[in-house]
Amino acid sequence: MTALLRVQDLKKYFPVGKDLLGRPTQVVQAVDGVSFTVEKGRTLGIVGESGCGKSTTARLLMHLIEPDEGRISIRGKEFGNISGRHPVAELRRQMQMVFQDSYASLNPRLTIEDSIAFGPQIHGVSEREARQQARELLEKVGLNPNIFVRRYPHELSGGQRQRVNIARALAIKPEIVLLDEAVSALDKSVQAQVLNLLSDLKKEFGLTYLFISHDLNVVQYISDDVMVMYLGQVVESGPVEQLYQNPAHPYTRALLSSVPSQTPSERKQHKVLEGDPPNPIAPPSGCRFHPRCEHAKAICSAEQPETTKVSGLHQAACFMLPANPSHEKYIQLQEVSA
Amino acid sequence: MSADKLIDVRNLNVTFKGEEGPVYAVSDVSFDLAAGETLALLGESGCGKSVTMKSLMRLHPAHKTRIEGQINIDGVDLLSMRPAALSAMRGKTVSMVFQEPMLAFDPVYTVGDQIIESVMRHEGFSRTDARKRALEMLERVRIPSAAKRLDAYPHEMSGGMRQRAMIALALACKPKILLADEPTTALDATEQIQVLLLLKELQRELGMSMIFVTHDVGVAIEVADRTAVMYAGRVIEEGPVDDVLSNPWHPYTQGLLGATVHPGMDRKAALPAIIGSPPQLTRQITECAFAPRCRYRTDECMNPMPAAYQADSRAVRCIHALAEV
Repeated sequence: MTALLRVQDLKKYFPVGKDLLGRPTQVVQAVDGVSFTVEKGRTLGIVGESGCGKSTTARLLMHLIEPDEGRISIRGKEFGNISGRHPVAELRRQMQMVFQDSYASLNPRLTIEDSIAFGPQIHGVSEREARQQARELLEKVGLNPNIFVRRYPHELSGGQRQRVNIARALAIKPEIVLLDEAVSALDKSVQAQVLNLLSDLKKEFGLTYLFISHDLNVVQYISDDVMVMYLGQVVESGPVEQLYQNPAHPYTRALLSSVPSQTPSERKQHKVLEGDPPNPIAPPSGCRFHPRCEHAKAICSAEQPETTKVSGLHQAACFMLPANPSHEKYIQLQEVSA
Repeated sequence: MSADKLIDVRNLNVTFKGEEGPVYAVSDVSFDLAAGETLALLGESGCGKSVTMKSLMRLHPAHKTRIEGQINIDGVDLLSMRPAALSAMRGKTVSMVFQEPMLAFDPVYTVGDQIIESVMRHEGFSRTDARKRALEMLERVRIPSAAKRLDAYPHEMSGGMRQRAMIALALACKPKILLADEPTTALDATEQIQVLLLLKELQRELGMSMIFVTHDVGVAIEVADRTAVMYAGRVIEEGPVDDVLSNPWHPYTQGLLGATVHPGMDRKAALPAIIGSPPQLTRQITECAFAPRCRYRTDECMNPMPAAYQADSRAVRCIHALAEV
């Protein structure tokens, strides 16, 4: 199968602080060499903790912020603001985004109908048609158009507003929808409704999702494939069952082990990760996880581990993997005692 | 009230005077807390869990709030306490940690100064001794290079570290009761579990009781001995956490657990969501507030809410649950 979305070596460094001549004194390596592909009709879950670069990745994909380096292509067509690439407006017709803050993402002065019908009009749909479509979409996301078209965002609950945001994203008829913590702010009973809605819409419109979340249980439920990020880099990726059942990277293991059990009979012993996440301005050398890793050896601070196969499509960046070219070297080294 | 109850709340009602009329935030809530015990107040946004909690410290603005009922803390009637007594109690008998540590700390004083102030005031320590206690507390909550962090300002710490510093502040005077209002909700997964395990450990060491407000079933399972599930301002079910969360009696608790995504769920099947949304609390609800969303609803559900039915150290407020138990 060919990839619908292909991302290669995406990079974004944010300058922080400036010297006398306005040159940046330090940079935050927010996204540092992220590559992945998504096949049509699948859901890629992106997990990681604050500052790992998952939201920056989403914004780079949409060109809400300009990438420093990297290629983004949909069906082999490359998009970006560089000559020879296809324009960003066309990219956004194929990829739309839903944000965590359902209120901040809607214009408070526009009615629900106006908000949903706005996008298509920008992309050349007539006003009448766009309004008709808006009503149909409201129906699809479970809001009665006769009640909701004339309402304003503040008159809606959080769950209802997020339904509107989903309808608005779909109004452009995109192939890919980026969901950036789209259900994280909702209460569980409402979250379940919206997750069901997302599954239904995916089937009906043949959508492909990128689902960004810090909630590991929700990601496991909704994703086909999962990508784990740490300090701007992908440390592990693969099909959801393999990655959750057999996590290969020590960070993924710690992350999964930290999730409290949802059933009293399955209370578990947590493996607690020591230390705070390091500063992205001065990320650790070599493997960025090494200062917190119980398996770290000298090589881990000296070299950056390549991403290698765990099994099948499951891959990770760690010297402990037998497939890693430096694995033999790692084995022979003494453990660095913490 | 029996002597071993550190907190005893009876028929608590909290009403806010809003511009558009009253808001009945908490209705007829009763619960108690024994020494060394942890109770989780579990519920979704607006269910009254935080309002209940703040009432235990009397943190609501008096001119906007009507509190009725009885709150006894360590044998003292909280609602008749005078300001001086109240302020001696806060931080000494009962202490509180919040979701957002930036709001608990004053940004213009160092973390150390704020802990020292509290210790000098409540324990009557000299400044030198108070500083020793502050350092000891920072070490106890495992803040790296604690001596250096004593002179740091709150904004100089990371989120997880600030949360631990707030716990150090709250526990510096060795309170009998710690009220924790979603203290780990804003934290990342790996930090959340660190803080939860730390709180449990400190509770054992100091012999404290805890009330833990959370919307997260997993957090309740992790920290609590008992749980009280709240919906629309009422406690609708209460009991040992293992019993309530593995065999819920109230239809809302059943619905909440069913709607919460957990590992091992059938990924192909739709989630059993609860239809609709919680009611507005601008009207005094006498009937079962969950009835409009409940699949067991009958006409009798519109009668005034039944008193809690008690069995096997559990309690539930639902006429249909009674029939089944």
